[in-house]
Amino acid sequence: MTSREASPVLLGGTRSGPDTSPDRASAARPRVALVGPPNAGKSTLFNRLTGLRQKVANYPGVTVERKSGFHRTAYGLVDVVDLPGIHGLSPRSLDQIVTRDVLLGHAEGEPGPDAVILVLDATRLESHLMVAEPILALGLPSLVVLTMADELGRRKGQVTERGLSEQLGVEVALVNARAGQGLEKIERFLEALYTGGEEVRACPVVVAAEAEVGPRGRPLPVVDVFAARRARAQALGQAAHFQAPTPSKLTERLDSVFLHRVLGPLCFLAVVVVVFQSIFAWATPLMDGTEAVIATSGEWLAVRLPDTWIRSLVIDGVWLGVGSVVVFLPQILILFFFLGILEDSGYMARAAVIADRMMHRVGLQGQSFLPLLSAYACAVPAILAARTVEDERDRLATIFVAPFMTCSARLPVYALLIAAFIPERPLLGPVLGQRSAVLLGLYALGFLAAVGTAAILKRSLLRGKPSPFVMELPPYRLPTVKSIVARLLDRARVFLRRAGRIILAVAVALWVLAQIPQAPGGGPPPVADSALGAMGKVIEPVIEPLGFDWRIGIGLVTSLAAREVIVGTLGTIYGVEDEDETSLELQEALRQDLDLGSAVALMVFFVFALQCMSTVAVMRRETGGWRWPILQFSYMLLLAYVTAWGANALL
Amino acid sequence: MAACVNDRGRPVDANEDPLRDVRLADVPLDEEVILVRMDMAGDDLEPLLERGIVPGCRVCPVRHSPAGGPTVYRVDGSLVALRRETASCLCVRSALEAAGVLDPN
Ligand SMILES: Nc1nc2c(ncn2[C@@H]2O[C@H](COP(=O)(O)OP(=O)(O)OP(=O)(O)O)[C@@H](O)[C@H]2O)c(=O)[nH]1
Ligand SMILES: [Mg+2]
Repeated sequence: MTSREASPVLLGGTRSGPDTSPDRASAARPRVALVGPPNAGKSTLFNRLTGLRQKVANYPGVTVERKSGFHRTAYGLVDVVDLPGIHGLSPRSLDQIVTRDVLLGHAEGEPGPDAVILVLDATRLESHLMVAEPILALGLPSLVVLTMADELGRRKGQVTERGLSEQLGVEVALVNARAGQGLEKIERFLEALYTGGEEVRACPVVVAAEAEVGPRGRPLPVVDVFAARRARAQALGQAAHFQAPTPSKLTERLDSVFLHRVLGPLCFLAVVVVVFQSIFAWATPLMDGTEAVIATSGEWLAVRLPDTWIRSLVIDGVWLGVGSVVVFLPQILILFFFLGILEDSGYMARAAVIADRMMHRVGLQGQSFLPLLSAYACAVPAILAARTVEDERDRLATIFVAPFMTCSARLPVYALLIAAFIPERPLLGPVLGQRSAVLLGLYALGFLAAVGTAAILKRSLLRGKPSPFVMELPPYRLPTVKSIVARLLDRARVFLRRAGRIILAVAVALWVLAQIPQAPGGGPPPVADSALGAMGKVIEPVIEPLGFDWRIGIGLVTSLAAREVIVGTLGTIYGVEDEDETSLELQEALRQDLDLGSAVALMVFFVFALQCMSTVAVMRRETGGWRWPILQFSYMLLLAYVTAWGANALL
Repeated sequence: MAACVNDRGRPVDANEDPLRDVRLADVPLDEEVILVRMDMAGDDLEPLLERGIVPGCRVCPVRHSPAGGPTVYRVDGSLVALRRETASCLCVRSALEAAGVLDPN
């Protein structure tokens, strides 16, 4: 399966001479794969080398897909591929299969890499060296990069690059990937892919790794294979004068609080309350600011546009439609600020440990908890992240319930309805207000639905034996300002792009529908009589029991594209209806159409319904068919309808 | 839940007196022990093995998590959380007692 002959000579031969043309076809560029155990710093290094912004966070299993970029060396471009973390070449989960396939050249439409950068965490050298053996045995030219040089030094550990390099027969670089220190050797290695320099060589020691890569019938009991491998890894560590770092003091101190019997769960609650309270309390000034900017710029634009259909389209259709969604940008960013801190610090893995008992009772693994947490941002990456769940039934269950977790696209809908219908009143003094409490309740409702559904699935369609829980807890790390800012910028870009594309397109389409048929005197008809109104009236009977009128009906239909589109849709409809309206008085208008019961019904509907075509699409891809997406869509719609009906009837 | 399968295929080492077996789940906090045997089915074993939890390694329970949740162990300088069911399938021996017998140093 592998060509052990691949040698620097051969490589130098095929790629002799510098090739400086940057537009050399990417197929001909040398390709380097970043391989290593989870959370070793591969994506951090990838971002350093390529200037891209692949997601980095402090828990294992962040990267679940291959991602490539290029690095510019003095001689030409080198393709760099970031891969999911692995512990060996006998994968048990889908993300690890991705890595194995890329390494062995089995991935569709791409040959195997020309070289490998093996990324290991220097602070955990001995256990991470266990993965070195099967990877180096592939016979590809390799460079070993030991990350976390800073932490190793701070915690009084040490290792000599030379010692390890002599043992392995390949270059070794000790780096700080986060700060970008010590990357010169990597640069030289990448250049040598062009020059055929001696840095590029494969490990000459061919280790007995057949048991790893071969088919199931293993010659030795696995325990012995791994015990022997560990012993060799330890010997390597000793030869490299590896001195294990002392346990991180910070981690010990923080864990004694966050995993404390009483304080732990309390901290968990406190974190949650602070997040929700700040989404309302902190966001208000920011939102007022954004709102003012949108309103004044709308007015500014309005007086400069001719008083024809153009003004109506731009102001009533687009400005109010898109603007009514964009005002929620601050709240989205606050949510992502907190998620960023939790993910970068290492708290997520602790949360998974605290939640494990509950997950176990439900029938899921603690491993499913991390994808579910990431669903608070968006269900799409969460469904992909479920690849890290080894058991196929558990993975399907995780995918199935992920859309119940409150994604950030629901936040504008909740925030709008809560601000319009729930009066602000302190509940727990300044700690928790009534609005935040309702928001918290909506999130909790989604979570309970996820857990309940998982419990049902694991006892029916997806019954299986629970698998063991092995959770690695990374040391706590201080989130950097840079990484948090980068996350927020990325988020803002995603949010605004959605507003600029989907919501804009929907707003224009709605505006056009609201213009026909033209009233007898020219000019647009009353909206209720327009084509748009007619469409809404078709839906009305179905949603009337929930307390919604035709406007909400249109919103529910357009929100199938993406949930927050309903806010833009209502902005457009009310904007077109009230011609001289140039500000965002959406709340005011909503209060005339909905009462408390139907407003709560609408929120509840959004808790449960699967209004997101991207989720359905990714679900189809990850489950390999329409069966699961269709089942999920119907189940969630039914649940949404019944509970919204109940809420409207009761309140 | 990892069922404790008896690993009959393995020859029992003379030093491994089954009566003296201590389970990792019963080791008090902060007492370092050495793993001697893993009574688990192959599929459940691998996630442990590839993280360096193999016979001969030193393990030290450092913290119980709230409400009887998983316990955090230090293995090779990194922290790993295991459920009680898993930890009770791992047979260990006190590091002090085993010194000279199993300790490679
Ligand atoms: N102090 C320090 N932290 C680092 C270094 N390299 C990476 N990190 C941090 O380590 C954590 C994991 O980094 P990632 O790049 O996401 O690791 P990965 O190998 O891509 O992980 P997976 O995608 O889960 O396999 C992040 O919190 C990084 O900020 C380093 O050299 N020094
Ligand atoms: Mg990564």
